[in-house]
Formats: sequence, C-alpha cells, structure tokens
Amino acid sequence: MNLKKYATLTKAGIIESLQFRLGTFVMIVGNLLYLIVVYYLWKAIYASAGTDVVNGMTFTDTLIYLVLATALFNFMEMYTVWYIGRDIQSGKIVLDLLKPMDYRSYIFWSYSGEFVTNFVYTFLPTFIIVAVVTKGAISFGSNLVFFVISVVIGISINYSIDFIVATICLYTESIWGINIMKQVIVLLLSGATVPLAFFPEPFKTITFYLPFQSIYNAPLSILLNAHQDLLSVARVIGTQLIWCIVLTVISKLFWKASLRQITVNGG
Amino acid sequence: MSAIIEIKDLTKEFKVLERREGLKGSLQDLFSRNYKTVRAVDNVSMTIEQGEIVGYLGPNGAGKSTTIKMMTGVLEPTSGTILTNGIVPYKNRSKNAQEIGVVFGQRTQLWWALPLVESFKILKDIYQINDKDYNDMLDLYRSLVDIDPLLHKTVRQMSLGQRTLSDILAAFLHNPKIVFLDEPTIGLDVAMKANIRKLIHALNKEKNTTVILTTHDMGDVDALCQRTVIIDKGKMLYDNDIEQLKKFFGSYRILKVRPTGELETQAESIKNELEGFSVRIMDDWISILVDEEKAGVMDVLGRLQRSYKIKDMQLEEISTEEVIKKIYEGGVN
Repeated sequence: MNLKKYATLTKAGIIESLQFRLGTFVMIVGNLLYLIVVYYLWKAIYASAGTDVVNGMTFTDTLIYLVLATALFNFMEMYTVWYIGRDIQSGKIVLDLLKPMDYRSYIFWSYSGEFVTNFVYTFLPTFIIVAVVTKGAISFGSNLVFFVISVVIGISINYSIDFIVATICLYTESIWGINIMKQVIVLLLSGATVPLAFFPEPFKTITFYLPFQSIYNAPLSILLNAHQDLLSVARVIGTQLIWCIVLTVISKLFWKASLRQITVNGG
Repeated sequence: MSAIIEIKDLTKEFKVLERREGLKGSLQDLFSRNYKTVRAVDNVSMTIEQGEIVGYLGPNGAGKSTTIKMMTGVLEPTSGTILTNGIVPYKNRSKNAQEIGVVFGQRTQLWWALPLVESFKILKDIYQINDKDYNDMLDLYRSLVDIDPLLHKTVRQMSLGQRTLSDILAAFLHNPKIVFLDEPTIGLDVAMKANIRKLIHALNKEKNTTVILTTHDMGDVDALCQRTVIIDKGKMLYDNDIEQLKKFFGSYRILKVRPTGELETQAESIKNELEGFSVRIMDDWISILVDEEKAGVMDVLGRLQRSYKIKDMQLEEISTEEVIKKIYEGGVN
C-alpha cells in the first residue's frame, strides 16, 4: 500500500485551509460565543437546582466537560455530508469517482487536513487553557495515551456515520433536512451538548447501547479520568472498536450497493 | 494498432419521475409517482483504436455524456458490453481510472484554492507517477504552451480559458491511454480555442493517446478528428471518416451580409447576380450559402462589393444541427 498519496491529500487540505485566514478567525470567535452561552446556561441550571452537585457532577465538572466536548466537536466534525451532498448535486462527484482510489478513503483523506488545522486552532488552545485554569482537572498520565487512541477510533466512527448519511443523499438528492436530523441526533446522543449523566433512565442506558456515545463521550470520559481502573478503560475502547468495525463494514457495503443505483446529475 | 475501446449494443435507460404541474400536482406527486423510462443511449456499437482522435458529436441531450460516463465506469450500462483496455470499466473503476483522464467542460478537478503546481503534485502522488515521468511531462508541456505563469497561480484566479487548459494538462499528466474531453472548448474565445486544439493535437501525436472528444463545435472536429461519430436521441447516426463528412459540409460556409438600401429588393438583386447560390433573408441578414470548392468566400464578397455598399458582414460555419438535419434527410452515407 502506498501511504504517500494519503499524506499528500492531508497536506493539500492543510494548505487549502490556511488560505482562509478570516474563516479561521470567525470560527474561533463563534466558538468563544458558544462557550459563553454554555457557561451562563449551566450556571442558571445549577442555581435553580439549589444543590452543588447535580447528577453526580459539580458545576465545574460540567463546565470542563462541555468546554472540552465543544473543542473536540470542532476538531472532529468533518461536515462530510455537506461536502458529498454538494458534489452529488453539482455533479462534481463524477470527477472524484474517477480518481484511482477508493472513493470513501479519497474523501476522508481529502478533508483530513482540517483535522490538523482544527486541532491546532481550537482543540489545543482550549485544552491548554482548561488544564491551566482548573489546575488538576486533567491529569497528565497514561490517560492521555488512551485518550488519543479513543479519539482516533471516534473519528472513524463519526466518519462512517457521516458516510452512511451521505449515501442516503444519493437517493434523496436533498441534503439539508437529513443532515440537520443527523446532527441533532449525533450531538445529543453522543454527549457533545449535554453530559450523558444528565439523561433520565432508561434513556441513559439506551445511549450506552448506541454507537454515538463512542464518538465524544468515550474519549472525554477517559481524558477526565472517570474510569477507576485499566479494565474499564479497556471496556470503553473495546466498545468503540466494535462499533468502529461494524459501522465501517455497513458504510462500505451500503455505498457499494448504492453506487449502482445512481444516475449522476448533469448527464 | 489495436482496439482500446470496444462497445457492443450499448444501451442505457433512466427512470425519470414525471412531475405534475402546479401546487396540486406537487401534492399528488408526494403520494403517487409516475415514472417513465427514458432511453438515453440506444444500441450503440463502435470500436476505437489506440491513438485515434474521435469526435463524438450530437445536440444537447443526445446521450454523449451518458456514453462517456459508461466508458469511464461511473455508470453501469442497462445492457450491452464495454471493454476499455480489456477491462469492464464499471466493475474495475479504480483500476480503469489509472488508465484514463477526463475533462468535463465546466467542472474542474483541480484544487480550487491552490496554485496549479500543487494540484499537479497531488495528482502525481495519487496516480503514483515517478519523478522522471513527471518532469518529462512538464518539459513536454513547457514546449507546447507557456505554462510557467500558470503554475503559480491559484485555480480560482484563472480565466476560464486558462483553467480549461490546466484541466487538460492535468488529465494528460499521468500519461493515460485514453483521455475523454467533454466539450473542452465551450465558452472560449477564438484564440484560446485554437490554443487548446493545438495542445490536444500535439499531446495525441506525442504520446499516442486515444482522445474521445465530444463537442458542438464543428471547428473542433475539423481541426482534430480523423473520425466522427454522430449520435442523436441516443441512436448512432453516423460513424465514418471525417473526409466523408467534409465532402458534404466542410466546403460550405454561410456568408451573411447587410447592404444599404431596402433588404428585400437588395436580396432579390443579389439573387439574380449570384446565380446558382442559395440566397435567403434571415433575421435582417441576407445569407448566402457558399460552396468554397466552386467559389471562395472572398471572391463572392468582392463581387458583391463592386455593386453594393455593404454595412456589415458575418461568416458562419455550418453547425452540428444542420449536419444532423442533412443526415436525416439522407444526404450522407
């Protein structure tokens, strides 16, 4: 296997996103505004609860979790559905299908450059600020290694889900509604907007049997040392791995079956 | 010479939703839908040899792009067979992609925000072109067109002509066996058209690349193709030497003039003066069909200028549509 072509696509993505300075700036500001809203919202929630600990989490716990979740989301979200959907509608998908590479990996690596830039622009600064400000909420030990592994698997799961949704767009030829629905489901059930601890039973249990919590909740819980021993960390990563394999297989098979059906636009 | 593309009895059908009109119709469409089957390509067969430039002609919606998409492997035929380089394209799309290059008129495969040379480098790695072949190709490009000013320009800053030129260079970069050019000269000015034709011609000669060219422009065909295939409503109408076709059309041009004075009377008098020419009035112009084998356009214009004061003139090539009309009327084959 030739790895060079993947690295080239990543590099091109980095160069491309560096061309748009203003876009990066707007993203950072928007992110900041969102975090301010989150801060006041949860402050109000805790004030009205009347106790310091809600669902086993203090206000600080919740805030650290959500700040890191937002940073992780900004870094991991690929907007694949938008990109593929746009290419389907404009017909540009034909040109990408005619690259001598598997389409699924071609698209992944084409947009992978954004991981790198977003990691540097949003996740890393947020992570450092949280680590400095909270003094000790994040421990620097083996959990960081497991966190990285967990994030990589999370990215793969997220991409497979995106790719399945994008494949559905081949049939509907409309993107907006489907994508919004996907985003709401993923954000809510993955723990990216509300910590899963706040979900009522049996809803909470259900989310743990779904793949979505493996995207954001799993790496965050490892980072914030929610697990007591190595065994439970292994269980979290094991669950992620199973979902990763299952969803990769499903998304590949679904794509293969769907491609035969398509009538590319502009024929 | 050996066959590089073999097409037999190729047919492609699409299911098209028949939409009803108006709000009421749209609401009905939500519940019950009528599909009708459209035959975009109907029983087409042809064999193309390595190194040929084939002009694939037809009006809009004739089925040209659909045929090309099947040859590249993007679409699966409804029935019939295609072999390119001895493989079935839609079953081995990635493998086939290594051996073909494509340019689709208005779309670009280049990286929008990057300088051209970066796009070339990405393609070099994707197609796994080795350094020597890559540099040789760039040297060849340099000898044919002035690419150095383009290399460091980002694609979004290019004019349409520059972008098309770049796209064609990108399609040839990995030295493919077949290049598909879907309306490459659409929307370009005369100088750029000539440039691009020269480039395609040179690359075909140099690398013995098979070129399949779809176009509306008879000028492209005239400048490049030894062979033309004409398709209309999915059916093949004509597949033969360009010379054969030229015998009928290549020598005809339409001269349009606008003399001073009243159009009708002038037309009448021109008709008398130029015996044996077809003279008609078309949208404020007097149009004269000139057979250049009998008389040059310049001679005709000269003769007219002696007796008339000409305010304005135009020269037109015969269009694909007119050729197809003539074929239907049974003028060729």
